[in-house]
Parts: sequence; C-alpha cells; structure tokens
Amino acid sequence: MIRSFGESALLVEVGSAGSAQLLAAALRSDPPAALVEAVPGLGSVLVELDPMHPAASELAAVLEERINGLGTELPAGRRHEIPVVYEGPDLDEVARLTGRSVDEVVALHTSAELRVLFCGFAPGFAYLGDLPDELRVERLATPRTSTPAGSVAIAGSMSGVYPSDLPGGWRVIGHTDVAMFDPQTDPPTLLVPGDVVRFTRA
Amino acid sequence: MIEVVEPGALTSVQTPGGRPGWRHLGIGVGGAADPWSARLANRLVGNRDDDALLEVTVTGPTLRFGAPSAVAVTGSRFGASLDGVPIPRGAGRPVRAGSVLRMGRGSGARAYVAVAGGIEVPTVLGSRATNLRSGFGGHAGRALRAGDRLEIGRPGGSLYRWAAEWPGGAVRVVPALDGAGLSELLEDEWTVSGQADRTGVRLDGPRIRLQPPEVVSMGLPLGAIQIPPDGRPIVMLGERPVTGGYPVPACVIRADIGHMAQLRPGGRVRFTEVTREVALESWAEIERRLEALEEVASPDPTDEGRWAGALE
Repeated sequence: MIRSFGESALLVEVGSAGSAQLLAAALRSDPPAALVEAVPGLGSVLVELDPMHPAASELAAVLEERINGLGTELPAGRRHEIPVVYEGPDLDEVARLTGRSVDEVVALHTSAELRVLFCGFAPGFAYLGDLPDELRVERLATPRTSTPAGSVAIAGSMSGVYPSDLPGGWRVIGHTDVAMFDPQTDPPTLLVPGDVVRFTRA
Repeated sequence: MIEVVEPGALTSVQTPGGRPGWRHLGIGVGGAADPWSARLANRLVGNRDDDALLEVTVTGPTLRFGAPSAVAVTGSRFGASLDGVPIPRGAGRPVRAGSVLRMGRGSGARAYVAVAGGIEVPTVLGSRATNLRSGFGGHAGRALRAGDRLEIGRPGGSLYRWAAEWPGGAVRVVPALDGAGLSELLEDEWTVSGQADRTGVRLDGPRIRLQPPEVVSMGLPLGAIQIPPDGRPIVMLGERPVTGGYPVPACVIRADIGHMAQLRPGGRVRFTEVTREVALESWAEIERRLEALEEVASPDPTDEGRWAGALE
C-alpha cells in the first residue's frame, strides 16, 4: 500500500524488512524521475520526491510497477563477526526475565545468525534480527539518558550495537570495541542493510 | 578568517540542505533547523544555496573578522551589531577587517549568519553541515568555542536586500498516513516544552492517546509529527532520527518548517490543516520570495574583497 506522508513523501508499505531493502536498493540503483531519496524501514520504504518535478504525479504508479517486479531473493550481504565482552549492566536482569542462566543468554545471543534489517536511530546503528524467541525481552521501562558507545543491546526480536554515546531503552548485555561508524570510510558504516552478523564471545 | 570571540549558547556550522543521501545507512539529513532563513542569508551575500554558514541558538556569538568581507543575519532578532552599530536583518552588509559582529539574546530560537564566500570546512559525506548528535562534519564535529578560527571561501557575488516576510500565525499541516490523532492535534493550542532542539520540538498540552501506541519503524520525513506513548506530540526537524516507531497523524508543511524551528520553550502554537495543493503552492510562493531580492552592492572589480554600493 502507498500512503501520502507529507506533501513531498510517500510511505510504501511492503510488509517485511527484506522487501523494504530490496525496493529501496532497486530505487537507489535505478531512480525513477522525481525521486529524491528512498529510506528503508522495518516494513516500508519512505520515498521522498520532488513535488515540483513534472513526473511527480506519476511516481506512485511507477512505484506500484517496481513493487510488482520485485524479486524475493535478498542479495548476499557481507558477513561480520563482532566480538563481545558479555558484562553488560542488564545481563543479569535479562537472564532473570528469560528464566535462563547468564551463560545460556550468551549462548543464545552468539548462536543466532542475524541480518541487518534496516539502519536508523543514529549513524552506524543497525537493527539486527531476528533473535531466538527465548531471548526476547521488552525495552527498559525508563530509557537511559546515555548508553555508552560499543554497548551491545537487545530489545524484542532485535539486537544492536550503540555506535556512540546515545540515549536508549534497549537492554545492554555486553560491549564491543568494533567501530560501527567512521565518516571517513566508504561505506561510513560497518553494517549496511542485508549484511549478516554473528556475535562471538571476546 | 573569522575568530570566535564568544561562541553564544549553541553556534554551529550548518548548510541549508544538510547531508542528504545517506539515510539508508542511518545517517540523517540534519542541516539548518530553519532552512528558509539559512538559504536567505546565503543569498543576501551572493553565496550558493548550500554554502556553509553559522546557525545561532538562543544567545548569539561575538565574531571578529580578520579580513574585509560581507555578512548577512537572518532568522529571529538577535540584536546584531557591527562595531556597535545595529545592523538590519535581511540585507547583505560589507565588513571591514577587524570589525566585530556582536549578537545578543534572540526573539526566537535561531538566527543565521552567512559570510560572503561561505565558511570553509572540510566536506564530510558530501556536506559541510555539523552533525551535533554524532559529532562529525562542520568545524571539528562540534559547536563553536571561544578561540575557534574559521576560514572563509572566495566571495563570488553581489549583496542583496530582502523585503518580504515569512509566514506567521498557525503552523499548517497536511494529514499523513491514516490520520489517527489528527483531530486532537488540530483542536487545541500547544505549548513548546523545554525539550526543543535541532532534533525536534516536543509540545505540551492535552495528551493524545493512540492505539496501538507504536507502529512498525518507518522513515520519517521533515516535519512529521510523532505521537509517542506519553501523548505529547513531537515535530521532527532536520536533525531527527532517520526512522521512528510512533504514529504520525500529520506533517508540518515545508513552507512552515522555519516558523516551527523558530519557536522557543514556552511559545504557543496552533496547527491548521491544509490540502497538499495549498502546501505546494505555499512552498512555491516562498521560492518566489527568495528570488525577489534587490541588489544593493556589487563586487568592486578594482579592489578584491570589497563591494561597491550604497550600504556604507
């Protein structure tokens, strides 16, 4: 479904992170007329357009065509291993909430092959999923005003690494020294949509 | 060269258009919170639209010019003076070597100081704007401090004057997505809370409770009004996060983003609904006003870095 999102954007709802990635990547590699930027979310693509462009009124129809022609095969992303020191301030609480030992929590977190579903929140923050069902916990009731850079955290079906000191409500189970964002490198983020991540015990 | 004598509360190097094209990697657009005033400032000193300039917040800086230049101040009134003489907003003005630009407390949240030739800072990911949240771009990735020195680019154009005004009054919105919460948003007057920055403006008033309170994370356009679970709307500005997971009943129209970005804590705002056609016509009208500048001085061909004209 395509919905109006302000006077110069459309939200294209495609239902899954994989489809959103595919559509956003297709739009970036072959941008239709009047397209300004395509931003994938968890189940949608924000399409910003130039409303003054003569082709602006046809963009929705072009997007419908692109969705219909979209494949289902996600391109093979790069693979990353991210070493983690599992000593986070919320590790014991996560163990309690999930009814597991700390070692079992770590085993669950390192067992999963996670995909970058989308990027957002801050430069270098990648939403990784899906975590095993046994590891799913809610966010903190009161978010921290600052979560240190390198914090490895979980919430719901997702995990992520804080690229810099940021406020946040995810539960921190460990930390890593791997840099997630460097504006001087190309690409500037370690993780891009579609990449595959496995956390390991440092 | 410009020396920062006093930095003001929060002064940073920005560009009107920010850093587009990286949102798929989680890197937001940012740039000037009031992009209209920023573009105007650049045009008044003959700069290109996306040259780097200074965004001034709440209280202004004191700047010393090391060489002859030209300057324009736009946005809210910050009592700008050059060597003690008040300077009008909305006009490019020549500056002598050694002159001091001093700015006080703003009538609104932000002002923009453009210098002929633009502020020369390295381009990072295609832009000179400072990303203050993540600490890169602009001048050393941070707000200015006393003692900072800023290089200036080569001035290219004439100086101009602008006689028009920005839209005031109610802030206009267009409905977004399924519009849940829109009637509550339009019904009441809102007060700008203390949580108002380059990311967004949080509003106090009646709480808007929506079901479900969260939605699947999606990209957020400029001006999106998010309703988080606590029911207090947040109008998203340039340095907003790339994605958000709360319902968005409406978006502030592009023409009124500057008006929104100029509101200070304690300020009052009402929203009024317009059609997409009105939103686009208002946008085009502002573009026309930005074109309607009156030339007041042209570069002096015999004396590089000087302007020949009526202002001095």
